Amino acid sequence: MKPILKYSLITLATLSVIGGGFALFYYSIPEPPKGDIDYALASLHQASLSNAKRYSKEKYLKAKAYFDSAMKQWNIQNKRFILSRDYQKVSYFAKKSAEIAKSATSNSKELSKNLVITVKDKIDNLTALVSNMNNLFQRLPLPDEFRKKISKGKMLIHEAEVAFKKGDYLESSEKIKLAEDLIMDSYKKTLDDLEDYFNSQPYWNRLVKSAISNTAKNNSMAIIVDKFARKLFIYQNGSKKYEFDAEFGKNWVGRKRLKGDKATPEGIYLVKSKIPANKTKYFRALLLNYPNSEDIENFNKEKATGRIPKHAQIGGLIEIHGDGGKGTDWTDGCIALDNNDMLKVYKAVEIGTPVVIVGSIADFNSIAMSLNLKHNQIKG
Amino acid sequence: MKKTLLLGFAALTMVAMLSSCGKVPQEKIDAANAAIDSAKAVEADVYLAADFAAVQDSMSAVMADIEVQKSKLFKKFGPASEKLDRILGMAQELKVNAVAKKEEVKKEVEGLMTEVATMMEENGKLMKKAPRGKEGAAVLEQMKAEMATIEATVNEAKGLYDAGKYMDASNKMKAAKESATKINTELNEAIAKVKGRK
Repeated sequence: MKPILKYSLITLATLSVIGGGFALFYYSIPEPPKGDIDYALASLHQASLSNAKRYSKEKYLKAKAYFDSAMKQWNIQNKRFILSRDYQKVSYFAKKSAEIAKSATSNSKELSKNLVITVKDKIDNLTALVSNMNNLFQRLPLPDEFRKKISKGKMLIHEAEVAFKKGDYLESSEKIKLAEDLIMDSYKKTLDDLEDYFNSQPYWNRLVKSAISNTAKNNSMAIIVDKFARKLFIYQNGSKKYEFDAEFGKNWVGRKRLKGDKATPEGIYLVKSKIPANKTKYFRALLLNYPNSEDIENFNKEKATGRIPKHAQIGGLIEIHGDGGKGTDWTDGCIALDNNDMLKVYKAVEIGTPVVIVGSIADFNSIAMSLNLKHNQIKG
Repeated sequence: MKKTLLLGFAALTMVAMLSSCGKVPQEKIDAANAAIDSAKAVEADVYLAADFAAVQDSMSAVMADIEVQKSKLFKKFGPASEKLDRILGMAQELKVNAVAKKEEVKKEVEGLMTEVATMMEENGKLMKKAPRGKEGAAVLEQMKAEMATIEATVNEAKGLYDAGKYMDASNKMKAAKESATKINTELNEAIAKVKGRK
């Protein structure tokens, strides 16, 4: 054999051995889990785009933690000898990450979709309710605490609207929930108190009917005062002769219990005296016989049971007087009329004329309907 | 035989060279991470949340690319290194933009505060002119309560502004402005109605 041929064969054989060995080595290297990692990354990206960080925070963080574990594990494996690397755990963590990220995405999409509808509905309903509430609340002696709650509630509705416009439905939902709690709490309590107050309405109705029928029987006159309607009526011979707007004490809901409570009494009274212009600072006045025997009895009972302080006094000097028309309940318990109306009443009424003061002639349901109050809906 | 050994050694040297020629661009990774942290420090995640998330996602993707290369026999970190350069640029730009956006929101809050203060002053004056007859006074009572709430909200917003939370302050001020505008409209309408009757 020629030397050149011999060397060629040896070289070829050596290269074949080296090449074969290299190929064997190369194809024994484990395949990195690039596909799983890319899929996890894409799933996390989708979750991030769907705002899962906000709407499905727990799942998103779990998916992120799995991804971090996958990367950490990959890094650990890459530090090992190339042939002894094992990417199974990396793949497992990456797959778990992708699975949870996908679930977070779908949760997030579903939640935000639902929130758009429910939050918008709540904002609209609460705005409408607040508008209806104005009809009622503006005439009721609400505690300052209630007014503050309602105002704060209204502000929170605006904050919910701002968040909604920005597409932050979760923030909007939180704000509208707070607004709902504040407003509904005041609204429910007010309606409950009012419903309790109206339990006396059948009794008021009987008083009014009896007073009117007496004017027919006796050809006489009676004054009927409807506190809820803010009206003073004069009936003569069974028919309504006058109807005027009236204003009352600041705390007009309920009967008068003691001096200084700024409540207007309820019951049957008489005009005790007529006070001319030069004897009153309120244009003209009709002094009523408050307290009557029933008021005194109630006062003593409440005092005895400790419901009113021992040193309290029953009060007096309840009048129908002028200087009204202020548009608010401002008296210490008297009934105030516009001066023109007061003059008519003063001229028409005699000493001894019965004055029936009631909470309301209309019943609660008809008032609720006229004010568009959704009491049942709220109670339900 | 000597030549065979030489050939074998040359082949092994080549393999060793090829498998170790790529070096992880650690400096670039550190620089990109530092730039992202720096952007976060100026609240890029709050003021430019989507852009910040995009940079973070890009960084995660590059880190995955790097691990892929580390897994290979023949490592090639050139493309990852280029991507890291781009991410560094993006993060640096993001920081600048976030600072600008924060300043923009801060200015917006200041503008809203001035606007609401002016409106509240005007509302105070209008309250004095507003009709008090019939339901008027009662309506004004509720409006007073609402104006007090607006003032409380403005104060809350000022607290947030002082704490550097301009985005939250902006949200509060927008709501306060809406309330103040509503009261302003109602008062102007009520006054115009009375003027119309006269």
